[in-house]
Amino acid sequence: MIPTDIAQTIIDPKAYAAQTPVDEAFKFLRREMPLDVAAPEGFDPFWVVTRHRDILEVERQSELFHNGDRSTVLANRTADQKVRAMMGGSPHLVRSLVQMDNPDHGYYRRLTQPYFMPQNIRKLEPRIREIAKSFVDRMAAKGGTCDFARDVAFLYPLHVIMEILGVPEADEPLMLKLTQELFGAGDSDMNREGKIATNEDEGLAAIMATVADFVAYFNKMTEDRRAHPRDDVASVIANGTVNGQPLGHFEAMSYYIIVASAGHDTTSNTTAGALWSLAENLGEFAKLKQNINGLLPSFIEESIRWVTPVKHFMRTATDDAEVAGRKIAKGDWLFLSYPSGNRDEEVFDDPFAFKVDRMPNKQIAFGYGAHVCLGQHLGRLEMRILWEELLPRLEGLELAGEPRRTEAAFVCGPKSLPIRFRMH
Amino acid sequence: MAYRTWQCENCGFLYEEEFGLPLEGISPGTRWEDIPDDFVCPTCGFAKSQFSMIEI
Repeated sequence: MIPTDIAQTIIDPKAYAAQTPVDEAFKFLRREMPLDVAAPEGFDPFWVVTRHRDILEVERQSELFHNGDRSTVLANRTADQKVRAMMGGSPHLVRSLVQMDNPDHGYYRRLTQPYFMPQNIRKLEPRIREIAKSFVDRMAAKGGTCDFARDVAFLYPLHVIMEILGVPEADEPLMLKLTQELFGAGDSDMNREGKIATNEDEGLAAIMATVADFVAYFNKMTEDRRAHPRDDVASVIANGTVNGQPLGHFEAMSYYIIVASAGHDTTSNTTAGALWSLAENLGEFAKLKQNINGLLPSFIEESIRWVTPVKHFMRTATDDAEVAGRKIAKGDWLFLSYPSGNRDEEVFDDPFAFKVDRMPNKQIAFGYGAHVCLGQHLGRLEMRILWEELLPRLEGLELAGEPRRTEAAFVCGPKSLPIRFRMH
Repeated sequence: MAYRTWQCENCGFLYEEEFGLPLEGISPGTRWEDIPDDFVCPTCGFAKSQFSMIEI
């Protein structure tokens, strides 16, 4: 059994904001008990999967380790019971690709998959470059200081995905706010109430209100796209069919919500985290500046590894199984730690160093197997284009204050990154 | 024969015969049919049989 203090650390939103406590906790676990059970107070026991190879092993077997049978994000017993009571027994507030297993997962994934494949995403490059240039120009106009997270990193991927989805620019602040409420529910700078919830009812009510706002917005969009289909993802969702039937309302709303939230927040976190690392590692910044085109692919993969914005997902064993010599029983719950896998000393040389030329880099921040991130090609493209536009113009870079991360144990990255810079 | 591109139907990973996958031990110029049957997609683990040839 994992010691209580370690178990508490790896589920603590504040520890993810500080990062070092989480890094130390997972370093200990990888060394001493790489696949063991945690049972923090108030939670059902769960296996903590810390090693790169074991995470792949679980994710590869999507029939043996389901997403949808229990909550896909770690939830304590009280929260789980309340969600089930509200949702007619289901442990999920939404039912997106993340909460589905086959056959539904395959049906629903195929609906938008062609849109997110590299050959289609590539067609978007000229427009994404225009957007990236406008943000880089705006940054240059700031006169040498900005909060890179708030002024650039939050807004650029948001604008790209909202154009793809079909949300007008005027509504982007609303989408950003709702996303931050959803993923930053435990952070008083980001969540709906602007304070830390004092009990489960309060926290759940805030998330439900956020989901309700998303649903109200996308209900209107569905009506519009059914009447006037366009060349956007909203039209695909609104008019899409699964086995000859229109998408269920709950599933359609969940589809919109995942595109409108996960479709930008993770790229924002990675982009901001990358610049933070460059500001703290000026040798790496200089190396990158000397060979931008040659090092961009490895720099981007290293940024994704370094930030790993999705901190965990849960899986549930559908049968008795064995992973890394441990007996997992049917019904057991597993916590897959992507940041731990991405710091695994057996896979990454000097894993706590940020290296713009790291090669090979088998980072697993996008997951693996059937549920591997659908938006990974878009995320990489957005980052490549932004860096192609920004790095050649960026001459000087330093932190201009203390950067801060969101307090969240699920999706977490920089919420504030004050920098000083010189650009031409 | 011109080089071809194969795509993983699950994650969209592209195998381009011209470039191979040197980091996976597959030399540039290796034809799809010469790749072992136990090859799996490097980004999502799906089997070789779940790749299809595409035009880029």
